[in-house]
Amino acid sequence: MTSPHPTGGWPARLAIASRDLLEFIRDRRALFITLVMPMAMYPLLALSSTLGIRTAILELDRRQESRQLHFVFSGAEAEALAIRIGALANRSDGSPEGWPETVTVRVVDPTSAQSLIDEGAADAWIDVPGDSLATLDGAGTLPLDVRLSTSRPPDRRVKESVLAVMRGLADEARLTRLRRAGLPASLIEPLRVDFTGDLPQGSAAAVRDILPAVTAAVLVLLALLTATGAFYPAIDAIAGEKERGTIETLLIAPCPMFDVVVGKFLAVFAVTLATLAANAISIVLTSTVLGRFLPGGMAASLRAGDLAACGLLTLISFVGLAAVAAALCLTVTAAAKSAKEAQNTLTPVVMLIAALAGAALLPGAEGRRWLPAVPFAGHVAVAKSMLSTFGGLDTDGRPQAAVAQPAMNIPLALATSILSSLAITWLLLSVTATIVANEEILFRGPEEATRGLRRPPRRGVPTIWQGCGTVALGFAALWYAQGLAPRAFVPALIVQQAVAVLLPLLAVAWWQRVDARETFALRWPGTPWPRTAAAVVGAALLGGGLFVVGAAAALATWRGEVSAEAKQFAGQLVSLVRGGTIVPAVLLLAVMPAVCEELFFRGWVLSACAGRRPAPRRAALAVVAQAAAFAAFHLLPERMPQTFMMGLVLGMMTLATGSLLPAIVAHAVHNATPVLLVATATAADLESSAQAAACLPPWSVAAALGCLAVGTALIVVSRQGRHTETDGT
Amino acid sequence: MIEICDLVKEYRAGGGKAVRAVDGVSFHVADGEMVGLLGGNGAGKTTTMRIVATLLAPTSGVARVAGHDVRTDPIGVRRSLGYVSATTGVPDRLSPREVLDSSGRLHGIDRRVLADRIADLSASLDLGGFIDRPCGRLSSGQRQRVSLARALVHDPPALVLDEPTSTLDVVGARDLFAMLQSLRAAGRTILVSTHRLHEIEHRCDRFVVIDAGRIVASGSRAELVAGRTGGLEEAFFATIGGGAA
Repeated sequence: MTSPHPTGGWPARLAIASRDLLEFIRDRRALFITLVMPMAMYPLLALSSTLGIRTAILELDRRQESRQLHFVFSGAEAEALAIRIGALANRSDGSPEGWPETVTVRVVDPTSAQSLIDEGAADAWIDVPGDSLATLDGAGTLPLDVRLSTSRPPDRRVKESVLAVMRGLADEARLTRLRRAGLPASLIEPLRVDFTGDLPQGSAAAVRDILPAVTAAVLVLLALLTATGAFYPAIDAIAGEKERGTIETLLIAPCPMFDVVVGKFLAVFAVTLATLAANAISIVLTSTVLGRFLPGGMAASLRAGDLAACGLLTLISFVGLAAVAAALCLTVTAAAKSAKEAQNTLTPVVMLIAALAGAALLPGAEGRRWLPAVPFAGHVAVAKSMLSTFGGLDTDGRPQAAVAQPAMNIPLALATSILSSLAITWLLLSVTATIVANEEILFRGPEEATRGLRRPPRRGVPTIWQGCGTVALGFAALWYAQGLAPRAFVPALIVQQAVAVLLPLLAVAWWQRVDARETFALRWPGTPWPRTAAAVVGAALLGGGLFVVGAAAALATWRGEVSAEAKQFAGQLVSLVRGGTIVPAVLLLAVMPAVCEELFFRGWVLSACAGRRPAPRRAALAVVAQAAAFAAFHLLPERMPQTFMMGLVLGMMTLATGSLLPAIVAHAVHNATPVLLVATATAADLESSAQAAACLPPWSVAAALGCLAVGTALIVVSRQGRHTETDGT
Repeated sequence: MIEICDLVKEYRAGGGKAVRAVDGVSFHVADGEMVGLLGGNGAGKTTTMRIVATLLAPTSGVARVAGHDVRTDPIGVRRSLGYVSATTGVPDRLSPREVLDSSGRLHGIDRRVLADRIADLSASLDLGGFIDRPCGRLSSGQRQRVSLARALVHDPPALVLDEPTSTLDVVGARDLFAMLQSLRAAGRTILVSTHRLHEIEHRCDRFVVIDAGRIVASGSRAELVAGRTGGLEEAFFATIGGGAA
């Protein structure tokens, strides 16, 4: 008497979806938060930000306005120079480039000029020296001291105006000199640029400046809020059913688990789409209203019809985002036992979505071919590109496609985004089906929810996940340390090492209860003591050699073209070493980082990645992984190749000797080498090397290579017999 | 109709240690028979029921419903049985009609056939007074009747009920067993678990007593109480070694 009806497939999926949707719609509170809140939120956000946007537009407007410059001149030839400026202003072929619309010059005595400038009645005061015109018309250089008014708020435009006037005077003087020498004016004008067309002025220009940034920010916000639309239904779909005790009767439905999960997904997806639509409608309506409160250019630009097109384009490009968000929320809440537990698991999802969506706005990201395939980042990038290509507005209300070149191939990008979303959604739903069908998750006790947070039993070395987690924690700490560290170089170094390296390491090591001796390789590199001595000396030679070879390679690669941050770091290092005694500098720059970073990277991370007694392949991968983390930790791109190589050598050295001591010694000597070089160099040496960014002398590189060879040999010697001893014990 | 042979189920407890919740259980329920699965909390009743209902996979052994193996043909098993859990499992925000409609559609029943089926169930299980009211507003007894109706919506030959009276009062429990007896009279096979012995003492054809995952006794009431002065309860305590209540 088995039920004769065909089961499973789309009828079953739709039955589950309609059941879940019906339940969701009847939950008024969830419905309000998911669908009605966005309708209220955008107007509130717009109201609070209107003042800021208005101020920004007016400021941009003001910059476009005509400028006025009030000069006050004193001195013997003040009047003559004022006449010269007046003649320039009234030139028949127009004022020179950048010339202020109005220039007034008052000629007074120095005392009155001082008063005027102090009171703010004049923008700039020039005490014109004698023989000024003779110098200008002759062949010399006229030094002018311009004093700006300090009684008003600082305004960069005053300085720009003064420079424009002076540039005009100088150009005129050049032409006079050329004429006198019988040379053509074209001698100093090898190139002339004439523009056809005109740039928009006033508020219209301001809108064009502001609109892309506002659109990008709104798209990221929309991505986040669309995803939050999936939260409540996803929590309710599986964790809620478990909490209410209704999941069992659903799981004995005569269809595969994947069908059940797809049915649940369809309900969550429908609500997420509805949230997206509610958000898009609210954004369009709010923008229409907002335009009326903003300066005229903005109101004219944001026309209702174009805004509706923008809303539609966003909906199309965000459909995939809604699907991925719904599937992702379903996946991460599938293992939760209750709604509260599911909410906790969704918190990292918010961060992930915000980070990915924001990544689409990074400079240069839009040009990447693979970007549309990346969830959230791709959706935002495609939407942004579509809006700027088809929905973007210029002041005439024309589609911007007529004036702008698209950053990406829109049809291809949209197709890639949709296909990628489908694939990711399918993958996530398959994972969800596996999780839901896992009976240990389905019928587990409530204490299992916090299993990941329980303090683990004692173990020899950390797991690979504990290693990765600590590196992530270290990077987060490094991020905050950059913001929290004082500006002064020395305290900043101490804070950075303490907060980003030592603190996360100690916290995690204490919590995970690992064997410190084994994890951090706290043992002598060899016995009897001559082997230890050989290892230490070998490590010191390797450290010094590595620095010189690395520096030579860096100089050859970058040829002095290094970032401002790198130059600043080098300058601070030189100031510290030259400004104090050598011992504190070595302790601070060499010993402290060597101890902290070696404990972190060659201690914790390496032992986590390699495990106990690693096979050669795993050991090699572990060395590469920790070296990559070590290089990334140093932030400056110029230093990364060098630090990566150093990480490789120190990692191999630690595994070879079974001790952290050689790595600490090598690291300390590596860092101490530039300190000692700077400390012993003469001022002339420093000056010449800074100016020339010279290559290192060949003999020093040869010596460094010799150090590397001898150091390696000593390490190998110290290692002989180690395995026999270890096995024997 | 329901065959269970040397069924074993192991769980992983804290620290990865394996715990046997069901340890070599074997019994069968013949067509049209009503069998009571008895045992205290943690005896292994719910685990056995969940294996039969395909919610859990057995570690070893065999469980079949209407000839369908729970391992190899779980869909066939699900189409052949109706399952009622202790928690009733009816959504608060749906009405009994919507619950039955949704369940029927999951079983692939045609809409017109389903409407007739719901009307029949409403009449036979007396759902008429509250069939369009949200389940969240129903009493425990009413919810359990809805749960039973849902288990019957696809007209399965076998019913598995896991402690169906745990949330019911005396009247509700009596009504539910009266319904079960009428279903058995109509030819359905019923396996019901409970630890409230007095409720089913005179209602089941046979009993299987389970303790610590093993069957410690089985047979009809007469066989279990033979040679004892008391009823099923005394026989139960004697077999599990807990002494008289």
